[in-house]
Amino acid sequence: MMNNHDPERQEVVSRRAFLFGGGVTLGVVTIAGRLYQLQIADHDKYLTLAQENQFNRRVLTPLRGDIVDRFGTVLASNRKNFRILLLPEQSQNVNETLDHVSAIVPVPTERRNRILREIRRRGAFTPIEIEDNLDWEAFTRINYELPHLAGVLPDVGDTRDYPLGPATSFVIGYVGAITDADLAAQESDEDRNLLRQPGFKIGRDGLERTYEKELRGKAGKMNVVINAHGRVIEEVKEGAVLSQQGKPLTLTIDAELQTHAMEVLATPGERQPDEPQSAAAVVMDVVTGDVLVLASTPAFNPNDFNVGINPTLWRELNESPYKPLLNKALTGAYPPGSTMKMLSAIAAQETGVRPSHSVYCSGRTWYGNRYFHCWKRGGHGTVDMKGSMKHSCDSYYYDIAKDLDIDVLADVAKRFGLGQTYELGVPGQKQGVVPSRDWKRSYYAGDPPNQTWFQGETLSAIIGQGAATATPLQLCVMAARVASGRAVRPRLVRAVGDLILPAPDAPAIDVNPSHLDVVRAGMNAVTNEGGTAARSRLQDPDWQMAGKTGTSQVYAITAEDRARGLTKPEDLPWARRDHALFVSFMPFENPRYACSVLVEHGIGGSRAAGPKAREIMRKVAERNPAVRQTVDPRELVRATVPNREA
Amino acid sequence: MASLILPGPHRGVRARLAKTHWPLLILLTLIALAGVITLYSVAEGNWRPWALKHAIRYGVAACLLLGMGLVPIRYWMALAYPIYFAALAALFTVPFIGEINMGARRWIEMGGLQFQPSEAMKIGLVMGLARYYHGLRAEQVSHLLYLIPPALMIAAPVGLVFIQPDLGTALLLGATGVIIVFVAGLSWRIGLFGVFGAIAAGYGAYRFDILKEYQLRRITTFLNPDLDPSGQGYHLLQSKIALGSGGLDGKGFMQGTQSQLQFLPEMHTDFIFTIFGEEFGFVGSVGLLTLYLAVILTGLSVGAQAKSHFARLTVIGVVATFALYVLINTGMVMGLAPVVGVPLPLVSYGGTVMLTIMAGFGLVMSAHIYRD
Repeated sequence: MMNNHDPERQEVVSRRAFLFGGGVTLGVVTIAGRLYQLQIADHDKYLTLAQENQFNRRVLTPLRGDIVDRFGTVLASNRKNFRILLLPEQSQNVNETLDHVSAIVPVPTERRNRILREIRRRGAFTPIEIEDNLDWEAFTRINYELPHLAGVLPDVGDTRDYPLGPATSFVIGYVGAITDADLAAQESDEDRNLLRQPGFKIGRDGLERTYEKELRGKAGKMNVVINAHGRVIEEVKEGAVLSQQGKPLTLTIDAELQTHAMEVLATPGERQPDEPQSAAAVVMDVVTGDVLVLASTPAFNPNDFNVGINPTLWRELNESPYKPLLNKALTGAYPPGSTMKMLSAIAAQETGVRPSHSVYCSGRTWYGNRYFHCWKRGGHGTVDMKGSMKHSCDSYYYDIAKDLDIDVLADVAKRFGLGQTYELGVPGQKQGVVPSRDWKRSYYAGDPPNQTWFQGETLSAIIGQGAATATPLQLCVMAARVASGRAVRPRLVRAVGDLILPAPDAPAIDVNPSHLDVVRAGMNAVTNEGGTAARSRLQDPDWQMAGKTGTSQVYAITAEDRARGLTKPEDLPWARRDHALFVSFMPFENPRYACSVLVEHGIGGSRAAGPKAREIMRKVAERNPAVRQTVDPRELVRATVPNREA
Repeated sequence: MASLILPGPHRGVRARLAKTHWPLLILLTLIALAGVITLYSVAEGNWRPWALKHAIRYGVAACLLLGMGLVPIRYWMALAYPIYFAALAALFTVPFIGEINMGARRWIEMGGLQFQPSEAMKIGLVMGLARYYHGLRAEQVSHLLYLIPPALMIAAPVGLVFIQPDLGTALLLGATGVIIVFVAGLSWRIGLFGVFGAIAAGYGAYRFDILKEYQLRRITTFLNPDLDPSGQGYHLLQSKIALGSGGLDGKGFMQGTQSQLQFLPEMHTDFIFTIFGEEFGFVGSVGLLTLYLAVILTGLSVGAQAKSHFARLTVIGVVATFALYVLINTGMVMGLAPVVGVPLPLVSYGGTVMLTIMAGFGLVMSAHIYRD
């Protein structure tokens, strides 16, 4: 063909091909230049980036310290938390994956939406929790189905476990998820990092909160080689610092007594068979101050809280009139009622009233411009000081109150433990009110006409009514101090780690022993000599229990009420019924244990609170925990895992 | 001996085989070997699933190359238009009977074999254009009227591939076509005019949303990869990290942490150069680039010496396609070109591309053997 040997065209093509070849060479040189820049000039930078890619410092979360009772029974510990995470990047279709998961573990729409939001917020490369606290069966099924669940990562973490559940919730508290405020409150970056670990929990209430630092333990760290999906390929053992479990706490509580007391409190009384019992009880060792029982009903289950409480349950707990979230033993302050009378009797003696002083009770006492009623309509007749306690005669105290300086009564009340809080480690204690001139001045500081103390108020205060309030804990301390004559202070924590805390010192109370003897004899008469709580007597002669009933008025039945036929307290709605109280100690001769019981709106101390105290103290006598061998905290420390891998 | 085994008319075959451009074949084999080594490494030291198959495919493709080389170039010229139009027809059928793969229709099935018409078109277009210019006189080349057929010949397949959608191949086809037209002797004036036209067209495509969203994203990512390290820019950034951490002499065979830890996507296909660069460093990657450049320059010299105009343009077209592959792919993995999904010839795993490349070089070989 003619065209085949066209030198002009061949020359053009050759020239252009040469040009093209030059262009390509230039391109290759450019590429090589870029390679030089990446691999030689910026090598260090990319090497660092590669190592950052490759190594990830992983925080090894420590196990939380255990909490045990005085004998070593576990009250708070850790258990395995089986959970499933989702790595969106590995999932072909997140919705489909969640559908598959739903077939085994239900994923409600609400949760699904939250997961999808999290994915948008945190990106496709961060694992997101689908569900935690799976039971073993569901967890194994997920693992079995794993080949069909792209992007699903089964994971085993730790979660707090409270074996006794509600029985100890008010002592131990609970743990909860981290908030931004918690992060801000941490002192070091290391702590913040630890708190950021998925599923990390912090003490939210009770001892869990107070002893957060001790219980938390120390985080460890370890470098791990990860792949692009964040999956750990290799753990680098060199330079790894293992985590340390938190210190165990040894309490003064006796778990068995505690559980028993909770059951006793929750059992409906004879006068209110249908009412849930909103009640509290405290039992103390009057020698050491060890709190053996700190109970309040109804109680919440702390195990519901550390998994993230469901809103319905939370609302129920919050709205219940029986206040299951409130630790009534510490944070409930109630008028002490007649349980105040021991202190009133001491105050009377200190102002010169002799125990033999007698008063005639007609059922009412005229003072100022009105009658003050004794609880017994017909009156008690003539009663002396001991009898005033035995029968809980109000008139006797009205008579004394006419000449009693309120500040003397306040001073006695404070010596015996009212109006103050104690270092228990459980937050939220109420101080209560011990009425006095000073108290009234500061309480009504903005209202000058009300600042003067009126003697009529002393008539209320002396029988524990009016402004006076005390917590069941304070009433137990009072009973313990009356029993021992020493300024016993309660404590809940026996040891932190292997450090055994000394019992708080209990100096003798500045009180005339003979005055105390009169009061103790009066309390003995209440239970053992046919007094107001004769039915709550303990039959065992070795464990003679002395006690005192109290009924504090919540609502005064008016003439109008009477006209409507409302005479008995049972006719009132629950919330208007009187509180029932009982304080006691035993054995009478050589006191070792003190107890206080409160039944909110329980109507009467002798019938609602006394029997519960009796049942609790019967068990205390049976176990006699003060003389039993307690657990050695050093053994506990040895038993804790000293360090722990991821 | 050989004359006894291959008597008579076959003596010619033997003589032709002797004229084979062995250095070119050796260069190609070395490049394919780099592919086998890297694929072995990517599979964490396993012949499966890629390395062995790659080696076998290369062997088969090398035989194809030699076979095609023994066919006189004028036969190929006779087949040029039929091949072009067959490929075009196949491309046309893709939207109707093609297999959907990764959101695009690119494959059709023929007798149980999967077949990518766009790959065949890479050869077909080169041959078709070469054939066309073969028939033109020198003065006709820059005549606008004679520019219409090649423009249509380029535009038709580019358009069909673009709607599949396969932006990378469409660009590659278009660029190859333009290079052939340029090498054939298009006047500079028209060439410059065309360049401006292309820029205007590109802007128009951007302006009027002709590009798919993911294609646009690739381009914006290319312009600023650090903007979004965990999203679209992630792959590119990881690729740069892997390459850069390789350093002067690399981390060593099978020691590439970034690749072994799966920080890189498409390690056995589009991003294979990154693995090679991470493990063999600057020295290794420049070595591989040099091999490619050697193939390209050798090819161009074969083209310059070819007897017929068809042969010259075909050879240059094949080499141009090859060169574009290399430049776009390597540029892409180090952030000099957008991530458009172009494999590294003979190194990336993939049968169709390997076959296309080797068939192309079969034509080059034919042009060389029948150069006089």
